[in-house]
Amino acid sequence: MKPDRPISYAVIRGKVIDTDLIEFGGRGGDITFLAPDPHKIAAQIPLASPRLMEDLYEISFEDILDYLAELGERLDIRKNDYLLAAREYSYATAPTTKPIMDNFFHDMPFMFDKKRIRGMVDFNIGIPYLESWVKKPINGSNVAIRAYGARSLHIVAGNGPVLGALTILRGAVTRGDTIIKVPSNDPFTTGAIARTMVDMAPDHPVTKHLAVAYWRGGDEALESKIYQPHHIEKICAWGGFASVKHVTKYIQPGIELISLDPKRSASIVGGEALQNDQMMQEVANRIATDVATGNQTACAACRMVYVTCGSDEDGIEKLKKLGQLTYDAMLRLPQTLTTKPKRYDPELRRQVDTLRLSDDFYTVIGGRNDEGAVLVSHTPDRVEFWEYLADRTVNLIPVDTIEEVLDVVDAYTQTVGIFPESLREVVRHKGALHGGQRFVSLGYAFNGPGLVGPQDGIEPMRRLVKWIISEEPLPGRKPFWECTDEEIRVVA
Amino acid sequence: MALSIESRDTSTERQAEGWMNDPYEYFGYRNTLIHSLPRAEVEAVQLAAMNLRLEERRPQIQMLEKLADAQGIGRVSSLDAMAPLLMPHDVYKSYPVSLLAKQKFDRLNTWLSRLTRHDPTGVDVSGCDSIDSWLSKLRSETLLDVATSSGSSGTCSFFPKSKRDYRLSMMGLRVQLAQKFGEEPKPGDIEDKIHAIIPLYRDGHASTGAFAKYAGEIFAKGDPDYWHTAFNFKISSDLMWLAARLRAAAAKGDASKVDVPASLLARREEWERTQKDMPAQQLEFVNRMIKRLQGRRVFVMSTSNLLYAAAKRGLEEGLSGVFAPDSVFMGGGGAKGVPLPGDLEDVVCKFFNTKRMISSYGMTEMNSFSVLCDHDRYHVLPWVTVFLLDLDTGLPLPRRATQTGRAAFFDMTQDSTWGGLITGDLVTVNWDQQCECGRTSVALEKKINRVSEIQGGDDKISCAATPQAQAEAMDFLTGLGG
Repeated sequence: MKPDRPISYAVIRGKVIDTDLIEFGGRGGDITFLAPDPHKIAAQIPLASPRLMEDLYEISFEDILDYLAELGERLDIRKNDYLLAAREYSYATAPTTKPIMDNFFHDMPFMFDKKRIRGMVDFNIGIPYLESWVKKPINGSNVAIRAYGARSLHIVAGNGPVLGALTILRGAVTRGDTIIKVPSNDPFTTGAIARTMVDMAPDHPVTKHLAVAYWRGGDEALESKIYQPHHIEKICAWGGFASVKHVTKYIQPGIELISLDPKRSASIVGGEALQNDQMMQEVANRIATDVATGNQTACAACRMVYVTCGSDEDGIEKLKKLGQLTYDAMLRLPQTLTTKPKRYDPELRRQVDTLRLSDDFYTVIGGRNDEGAVLVSHTPDRVEFWEYLADRTVNLIPVDTIEEVLDVVDAYTQTVGIFPESLREVVRHKGALHGGQRFVSLGYAFNGPGLVGPQDGIEPMRRLVKWIISEEPLPGRKPFWECTDEEIRVVA
Repeated sequence: MALSIESRDTSTERQAEGWMNDPYEYFGYRNTLIHSLPRAEVEAVQLAAMNLRLEERRPQIQMLEKLADAQGIGRVSSLDAMAPLLMPHDVYKSYPVSLLAKQKFDRLNTWLSRLTRHDPTGVDVSGCDSIDSWLSKLRSETLLDVATSSGSSGTCSFFPKSKRDYRLSMMGLRVQLAQKFGEEPKPGDIEDKIHAIIPLYRDGHASTGAFAKYAGEIFAKGDPDYWHTAFNFKISSDLMWLAARLRAAAAKGDASKVDVPASLLARREEWERTQKDMPAQQLEFVNRMIKRLQGRRVFVMSTSNLLYAAAKRGLEEGLSGVFAPDSVFMGGGGAKGVPLPGDLEDVVCKFFNTKRMISSYGMTEMNSFSVLCDHDRYHVLPWVTVFLLDLDTGLPLPRRATQTGRAAFFDMTQDSTWGGLITGDLVTVNWDQQCECGRTSVALEKKINRVSEIQGGDDKISCAATPQAQAEAMDFLTGLGG
């Protein structure tokens, strides 16, 4: 029987906790849900001692892969009641719509594919570094390096249900101890995965080194207990300035912050791409795909496209045509990728409707039914409300030179889509200097290595491990106590 | 209540014309009367005024015409039916910012002309090389006195107010502040020169500067001996814009990417220097006024923090009650993130020998200020229709019980612009209860938030940057800058 209000289960080190439930959520029309009173379980959330990390080193990387592969099989939504329930409840909390969520859940087992994980780890860290000391001679010493698992707390984002799964994966393969604070926009999925792990192997070290719970971000009484250097070594925080800023007050020697800053993405298109109808159609398909996938909730989703078509009348006319083609292409995309947004941001709707009145300076294509819109600027200016662009709303901006575009790549930029390829060299080099982190072919922002790659310039996997050094003198290295004054070199 | 106006009520229309034209004159400048009108009568006049204004302004203001055409609205039969014709405040910054950076003031004139009935496009602005020079030219050659402001995004808004709008606005303050509610005005309340003390600039296109200028006209009746400002020059809208753009650029990680003309960027040090010296000069000015105008009736328009600093120092020196008892002290919010001292009201009232520190709710985009009553509610003048809009749907919430929504207003006295405005403020009104202070006018609860503030903080975490995140980052930087 389903409870009348859904539960965000706490799953702590192999134990499922569903007692002392209290109510959360319910703001601004959101659903309310129940979760164990976090203050009652606070003491169990952190690992009692770093000594308890030993068990992760009694199993091999291959053992971990076997575990994850089996978990992946059990995460088949058709056979997993926990996930089914989580998906059902997540329709209400998630920012995206049912078909997109269904697809996320459908694809979840593929994340646990052995080959894929092996590739992810080898690319980001290098499996030998996790399994052994990797030795190299340097300056008369043999220096060995090994990547050790850390005790980490993750404040994950909730704009896609895969982020909890990804965090569990990353924790397992790095032999980390992982605490996940789930967000109110995805309070169910991670707990469902963790419950599956408990059913599968309650005493396995990977199960034992995972704690999943909900508490209200900013609950100082709770957080000041957990966020202590004797409990955790790293805090990995997704999300806005407020959540990251708020975490920084717990940062002290012994706790490192990995800040996955909120980002946004833009694209750059060379004017030559608008020369003929066929190419223009291709560009429209590419833009639409990068804008609309996942309904533009992810940081990698394109929100602005700069086109070097010139800001003269001829350029603007071409851009309007591209805008219409982009809008049409967006509506044609399959619903596993994108749908009419769940709820079009009313603030954005107001802004788009206001923009319609300024038809000297902007052309608005679509948007009357909250389905998304293409906003074509007639000057080299992005719309004033560019920070609000979401729910399948993209701004096409005409520019005269590439330099103008690079000016808008800044510290908030994640992905930059490029078309045609001939622009890549200049865009990625200059863009990197300005703050861009990831450069992709236009249309492939979500169709690349995915989050198994380095994600973005932050490279979270490399930073989740502790890099430990071991040094031995090479044979023949003269000890200081046998050196003359002249021979001694204490060099940093 | 929805009031049908199938047959036009000419006496109500005549009343509406009186209110629209100069409501203070119409009511004999009597504050008590203005706030004691029966609600039903007020709403009938408001509805008549809306239709008169719509008919008149539609061919005069292009943006309104487009909006009304798109909505297919020619007349309205209820107050709420006007909601689709209210314009978001952002429309006053909807120009492409490159026009400003490239100093295309002729094109900005064209943009502005669509928002006002006082067309500025006939003015030759080819020689203008700054915002100040552009707006000065418009001020001297048209009926306009365009008001600028820079929000947290760093975009400068241009609100095409007219000089008449400013005068009405200032008269509204004088009528509401100089008279005590419940009493008839004393002759001096309306006729006398009152000392206006404003510890800011004497003039400017930014509304803080312009308000000082018009306070000089309305309170001091133009007599320089009654008109006191800390800085006897104009605040520069260019420098304010520069400051906003510098902050915006820093928040994005590259303080050198400031899209303002080079000539303006060269004035950066000038701005930073004046900002640094300002607080000490303002305090010195207030102390000078305290000595010079002892026992006189004064009207002080200041930031709360400055009043507090002056009062605290005065009390420490053993002074108090320096001005005449019918003086008025109006404090303002001050910068976001700068907390007001807990004993603010106590210290200010004790030193200035006044019962309370007055505050008012208003904005550049409206003529009418709402003054806070003794029961902590802002009372809206009867010629302003209040709308509370649902945050999700944008539709008006019912005019009954207690409602909280996005505040929108229709100010029928607006001379230059349309008068229908959607704000970024979240406001609460109890429609059914008359305020204990005795005023019958619509009352806004004291606690007013920004809509954008309440939309954050719900523990929803996303990897995509939001405007809130950036605004917070900017507040943080601004705080660091002092």
